[in-house]
Amino acid sequence: MELTGEQQAVLDGSQGDYLAKCMRWLVEWGEVMGAKRLIKVDNTHALLPVPNLMAQGASKETMDRYMADLVEACSHGTHPGCTCTVHAAFVTLDDLDVPENDPEQVQMQKDLAVLASDAGFIPTFTCAPYLVGNVPLKGEILAWTESSAVVYANSILGARTTRHGTESAIAASLLGLVPEFGVLLDENRKGTLRIEVKAELEDPPDWGALGYFAGKAAGLGIPVFNGIRRPSQDEAKQLCAALATSGGVTMCHIAGVTPEAPTIDAAFQGDVPEDYLTFDAETLKETYESLRVRTGDEIDSVILGCPHASINELSKIAALLKGKKVAKGVRLWIDTARGTKGNADRMGYTEIIEAAGGRILCDTCPTNMRIPAKRIVTHGFKQAHYARGMVGAEVIIAKTEACIRAAVAGRWLGDG
Amino acid sequence: MADTIDIRGHGVVKGYAEGEALVADTTLSFWGEVDAITGKVIGVGHPLEGISLGGRVLVIRSTKGSSGTPMVLNLAQLEGNAPAAFVNVEVDGLAALGCIVNEIPMMTELERDPFELIATGDHVVVNADEGVLRVTRKSTTQR
Repeated sequence: MELTGEQQAVLDGSQGDYLAKCMRWLVEWGEVMGAKRLIKVDNTHALLPVPNLMAQGASKETMDRYMADLVEACSHGTHPGCTCTVHAAFVTLDDLDVPENDPEQVQMQKDLAVLASDAGFIPTFTCAPYLVGNVPLKGEILAWTESSAVVYANSILGARTTRHGTESAIAASLLGLVPEFGVLLDENRKGTLRIEVKAELEDPPDWGALGYFAGKAAGLGIPVFNGIRRPSQDEAKQLCAALATSGGVTMCHIAGVTPEAPTIDAAFQGDVPEDYLTFDAETLKETYESLRVRTGDEIDSVILGCPHASINELSKIAALLKGKKVAKGVRLWIDTARGTKGNADRMGYTEIIEAAGGRILCDTCPTNMRIPAKRIVTHGFKQAHYARGMVGAEVIIAKTEACIRAAVAGRWLGDG
Repeated sequence: MADTIDIRGHGVVKGYAEGEALVADTTLSFWGEVDAITGKVIGVGHPLEGISLGGRVLVIRSTKGSSGTPMVLNLAQLEGNAPAAFVNVEVDGLAALGCIVNEIPMMTELERDPFELIATGDHVVVNADEGVLRVTRKSTTQR
């Protein structure tokens, strides 16, 4: 890779050991991925979480060494002119009455949030930064963590980001640079797999099912969806999250929706394959069933807001819950960004949800928290997929209405 | 007598490591399918479910998915439970980043099919600097 004199100097230590290490990460990663140069990054979404290791049995030494790196990162300012938001944490920062929160971990996260804010990181603590003001324009270069947000940024907004991890997003935030490879380049944004959609997609989880099916088939490739209407923001969010769950997808094209793909021809850069997969009503049904394997219908948790809920979703959930009560022994949590909850508070949704016995949980998600749950109903394919392994729970994927019915009944009642 | 073969390939992330092979013709997500502390695969129904990756030469098709990959690798490394090396058919950028940060060698583009030539339990020396895997078969009768 060719570096400018200034970049080489940083690599050689002109700005200290830590920034030299950051530069080395970006350069070595770029070389492995075939980048020829580093380019300016406009916007980052970085992971700065305190891991919930104490609960999982890590040594104090591991925790100290891990935290020392994050503290060091936050002792440097973010690059001038680069917008930097922060990914979801593993605890909720301010709701100290949540028993699943480890108080020591919460305090460490809050301390880190202060350091991060001083450095210039906007403490959004969300997996859906595009819902709380980080909305890049078409063509902007990003360094985003959170695979679901990466797919959304590339496919719905037309911005450009490869999938980042903790260290690369921190390095990009501090240096204002990313190695140029993958979907940052036009030729790597060409569709690889054609999917003709014949099923009627009615609701956000239906779009999640499409994504879950397509991610499995596409692997690390770029699926192109043809024959579907424009999704709502909530539907697009579910599609993108599921694509990044069952596969290693970085972007997709929705013909007629993705900013650079007004037609299927444009999505494939003029080279539309004759072979295609079909997603029909039967595939839709089978995809739901694949995340409903269970040994009973009693439930203990209903988790909504994966990825973090929009204000529209909170409005819908509040309307469904109005005047109802969540069954005893059932945890109904709706996860969102703190900024979105602020709006929900003002619009009265929080009061309705809490009066029904639900809770709006900010900054994190129950899978990150490893809540003890045995059987979870959720409308997020990503949540359903990961909760099985990380929480060890059985899962039932369902539309929002069916999730709320289950929460009120204390058992899965079917799609209704 | 030990049956040893050399397989040439491309060293994606340089370095040298050796260990017992863990082989599965499949993908694996470090976020959600691997426990960072124990290094065990926790993905429900995954072919490697319940097996620890610690110190193993992980021969899989590719890693997949999440931006949490480098973080999980970092934590597993600090706990001494990260894989010794990666041998992958396809290179996932996030695993490559995790390997760079944690100094774990990674090889790809092997001249011959690793799933035919390497079995779980074989001893593998990964020389990613030279681009060579040396595989010492545990036993020819198990093949």
